[in-house]
Amino acid sequence: MATTALTPAASAYRSGLYEWLTTTDHKKIGILYVVNSFIFFFLGGILALGIRTELAIPGVQFVDGEVYNQLFTMHGTTMIFLFIIPMLVGFGNYVVPLQIGAPDMAFPRINALSFWMLPLGGILLFLGFITGGAASAGWTSYAPLSEDRTLASVGSGQDLWIMGLTLIGTSSILGGINFLVTIFKMRAPGLTLFRMPILVWTVLVTSILQVLATPVLTSALIMLFIDRNYGGHFFDPATGGTAILWQNIFWFYSHPAVYIMVLPAMGMISEILPVFSRKPLFGYKAFVFATAGIGALGFSVWAHHMFTTGLVFLPFFSLMTFLIAVPTGVKMFNWIFTLWRGKLTFSTPLLFAVGFLSMFLLGGINGAFSAAVPVDFALQDTYWVVAHLHYVLFGGSVFGVFAGVYYWFPKMTGRMLDEGLGKLQFVMIFIGFNLTFFPMHQLGLAGMPRRIADYASNAGWNDLNLAATIGGFLIAASMIPFLWNVFISRRNGKIAGDDPWQANTLEWATSSPPPPYNFDHLPEIRSERPLFDLRHRGTGH
Amino acid sequence: MSSSPGTRPSSGSIIAWIVAIAVLVGLGALLILNGPQVVASFFPPEPKTAQGHAILDLYTIVFAIAAAIFFLVEGLIVWTVLRYRRKPGDDELPPQTHGHNLAEVIWTVVPTIIVFFLFFVSWQTLNNVEAHAPKPDLLVKAVAGQFQWSFQYLPADAPPDAKPLFTVTAPVGPDGGLTLPAGKTTHLYLSSPDVIHAFYVPQFLFKRDVIPGVVNQFDLTLDASDAGQTFRGQCAELCGTGHRIMLFEVHALAPTEFDTWYQGKLTEAAASPTPAPSGGAPASGGPPAGPALDLVAQNVKFDKSDLSTAADAPFTIHFDNRDAGINHDVDILDAGGAKVFDGKDFPGPAVQDYGAGPLKAGTYKFECSIHPALMFGTLTVQ
Amino acid sequence: MTAPSGALTTGDPGHSVAEHNPVAGLAHDSRGGISNPILGMLLFICSEVMFFSGLFAAYFNVRATTTPWPPPGEHFNLHAEPWYALGLTIVLVISSFTCQFAVWAIRRGDRTGFIRNISVTVVLGIVFLLGQIYDYSTIGFGLSDGTFGTTFYTLTGFHGAHVFGGVIMLSVILYRGMAGQFSAQHHDAVEAASLYWHFVDVVWIALFSTLYIL
Repeated sequence: MATTALTPAASAYRSGLYEWLTTTDHKKIGILYVVNSFIFFFLGGILALGIRTELAIPGVQFVDGEVYNQLFTMHGTTMIFLFIIPMLVGFGNYVVPLQIGAPDMAFPRINALSFWMLPLGGILLFLGFITGGAASAGWTSYAPLSEDRTLASVGSGQDLWIMGLTLIGTSSILGGINFLVTIFKMRAPGLTLFRMPILVWTVLVTSILQVLATPVLTSALIMLFIDRNYGGHFFDPATGGTAILWQNIFWFYSHPAVYIMVLPAMGMISEILPVFSRKPLFGYKAFVFATAGIGALGFSVWAHHMFTTGLVFLPFFSLMTFLIAVPTGVKMFNWIFTLWRGKLTFSTPLLFAVGFLSMFLLGGINGAFSAAVPVDFALQDTYWVVAHLHYVLFGGSVFGVFAGVYYWFPKMTGRMLDEGLGKLQFVMIFIGFNLTFFPMHQLGLAGMPRRIADYASNAGWNDLNLAATIGGFLIAASMIPFLWNVFISRRNGKIAGDDPWQANTLEWATSSPPPPYNFDHLPEIRSERPLFDLRHRGTGH
Repeated sequence: MSSSPGTRPSSGSIIAWIVAIAVLVGLGALLILNGPQVVASFFPPEPKTAQGHAILDLYTIVFAIAAAIFFLVEGLIVWTVLRYRRKPGDDELPPQTHGHNLAEVIWTVVPTIIVFFLFFVSWQTLNNVEAHAPKPDLLVKAVAGQFQWSFQYLPADAPPDAKPLFTVTAPVGPDGGLTLPAGKTTHLYLSSPDVIHAFYVPQFLFKRDVIPGVVNQFDLTLDASDAGQTFRGQCAELCGTGHRIMLFEVHALAPTEFDTWYQGKLTEAAASPTPAPSGGAPASGGPPAGPALDLVAQNVKFDKSDLSTAADAPFTIHFDNRDAGINHDVDILDAGGAKVFDGKDFPGPAVQDYGAGPLKAGTYKFECSIHPALMFGTLTVQ
Repeated sequence: MTAPSGALTTGDPGHSVAEHNPVAGLAHDSRGGISNPILGMLLFICSEVMFFSGLFAAYFNVRATTTPWPPPGEHFNLHAEPWYALGLTIVLVISSFTCQFAVWAIRRGDRTGFIRNISVTVVLGIVFLLGQIYDYSTIGFGLSDGTFGTTFYTLTGFHGAHVFGGVIMLSVILYRGMAGQFSAQHHDAVEAASLYWHFVDVVWIALFSTLYIL
């Protein structure tokens, strides 16, 4: 069927290194974000394998104390700030202007600046490994441990960590501003707010969170830096400071941050499920309100990370934490009912999207246990929490990322990824992921604390740790078919054309890859599925 | 011409079937082979305190609801995904349902009711767990430092900074740990001189952070049936390089045995005053004599990992403990692991001369008995 | 079916002068509403408000948990001698006025008035900064002098850094203005910079009230 297709300008994406280094085109910048994020995903994954290798059997085999503390600190920091947040920003960068029919982001040069701050920030963070030790006080960097320059062996790596994160946070804030102005001001005619694709809505709410929450982290980092280097007394109890102040300010950002880490992935799922069910998203408006609700409620729950401190108002935070399950549940049901009575095609994007649904469900449910405060007294700081966070961030966001990769790779490169390799990756990563993280529920219940380099051989934790390590290596192995797939499909993949999936939104109304300013002209926009309407005009829907 | 997805035979669903069957077979095998164990693994350990029992009851309620929701929704996902696969060649669109307002209302209101119920139930349990008995049977302050626990037994109604009646400095072992009376209520203070730690006993289903500058407190009411048992505890908040070794034990004694133990401790404390800050009481092995070996303990590390001395002659270990508030000692073990010298531990900053030896020629290990994993070295005697 | 129009809005000023509302001064987009750079600056200011909120939250927390407050020591008693700081406050408030005069001037197309007022604003900003530095040198305590010193210097120091940034921004505006780059129809950068300057002033008023009066 005829779409408003264009032939891409010659050599649009064969330009050289200089073009990539200096580009302000949101599509190239989006790809830079995605590639950079994958590099840090693999680095963070190697750190994780280091952790799992040490924990495979009891006894200290490879790394102890200080080095182990650096491993999990850098694993968490890398995965959160250098992988998942920028990965989702990268997809947003690529897709959002296309989905709203805009030629680029509102501030293309700031867009480029936001990107380049990331590899630089990452280098600062990792520089700690070669200057005497990377940060080692956990990605949460609790004071007073993170303040201590001597006894706790946190050396200059901690300061580099602060500087790197400040830079990355600035990138985040600028990116958020860019998205908000783009979405509010640059939508094509006819694209009202309630006709925007859900991915654009989730990026909008995520950007609000980034703009409002990240600066609070920056303030905390600066105060910590002042304490460490200029004799400050913010968090030092010995001289009038308050240890718990760090946690309050840190979590005020870091809780909304978890929604930054998942909402765009939910948006991607919300694009993929309708296309592969051949039905519209069930309950579009409910989605919008649920997303906004999650964003707002997300600011009111931060102290649930601090239930065991004995220093926070427990009932309020417990109630708000329970309540946030409600909009999340609304989304879950709406996704399921998008599939219900649809006609499902099991391409790899759909596999990962359904994987997201089933794994995120588990993560949401095991999180509810911690909302019940006395239960949290048993579970906090144990492997149960590690299980929870990985079910929502890996089973949720990472599966969402892979769904997005398989779905939008054709648009970005003009070629399809191989379905067989995709399914193989899915099976390997699904099994590996569950093998790694499901036993952690049991480990946490049995009393295994987090962040320990070794455990007693008679505690009964040996088998489950070994299983988790095997699972971890299986996850790593699943990257092999993925990387191979990307490598061969770039050159030999099936030509995608404009709209290989028979999709609904505007990015599929232009060539794959799109030309520099995206569109020559757009289809009429009368609903949230402009391309679907174009395709089925006159068939009465 | 854009291709429509899925004109190929759906290898995806074949894989999905394989995965589903493999997982189900695997789970089934697991359940059949160790059913009770598997079910038990989804629950915390059998609690040993009254507070722990209340927490387990709450956990069971949450678990029941969580399991029900999980099976319902996950089942719905699996069923939907299997039932509504597109048949090859079927190009007709399914009904384009955009939503259903009543459904939205139902799945907003019902979960809200469920979460409010869970909130109220957990709030009730919280009040129960957090309650402080007006007259506890025992008052103890647990001090968490990098990287050890010590326990100060305080007089009744004492504030947290009161002088203890006696202190147990070894966190584990028959002579160490936190000894409590079974069937009675102990009120605990938590105190840290350095960074944040956490007091965690898995079998109590309970932990509480130890925050410098703040004294957290809570009650532990051990079950009467705990008498004679020992429970493991561990620091649960990252506190530095030695976080993983910050273990402790809780010993539950029947009330009469506890009283005996308690009186014994009081007597011991009255008999041996705490060592003077420098040049204090000699350790076992006789008065300090012979050549002196210098050894410093700082940041929970020895400054040397190798010492040497002459065989068959007494020698002195001039031991400088520079860690404020942290107890160290020096013990010497022979190749078989038997202790040939047992230095008495003391808190820093302080210096003591240990009189050790004479030892036969050979290779020995020296270590701090409180931090053996971090503080050890080799003593060559020739 | 009518084909949709090919033109897309990208913030490109392709509209006629007659559509433009010179009084509002902010309508730059043919669809109405504030322009992209100004919306961007407003959002940036929101993020800066949150940054200072973190610092203020720390201050109030520290103040509530430190007794007595202010700590003993004459130099910690800022309430006793707020006059110098009040002087700095007046300087900054006047500079906000002159900044706004500059904006009104350029909205009218009065380039001379605009340049004059911006120059005065820049000068006043520099006076504020120099005054702040002098205050630091005579105040009698440093950053590491207890929680009072830490919070005082962190709050005022970061505010000063923002003033410095604002002075740079306004200097660029002054330079561009003198080069004739602004007109009644096109002066988004001036509007944006002035919004930032007002924000910096408001933060100072909050700081001054908190540190010297409350």
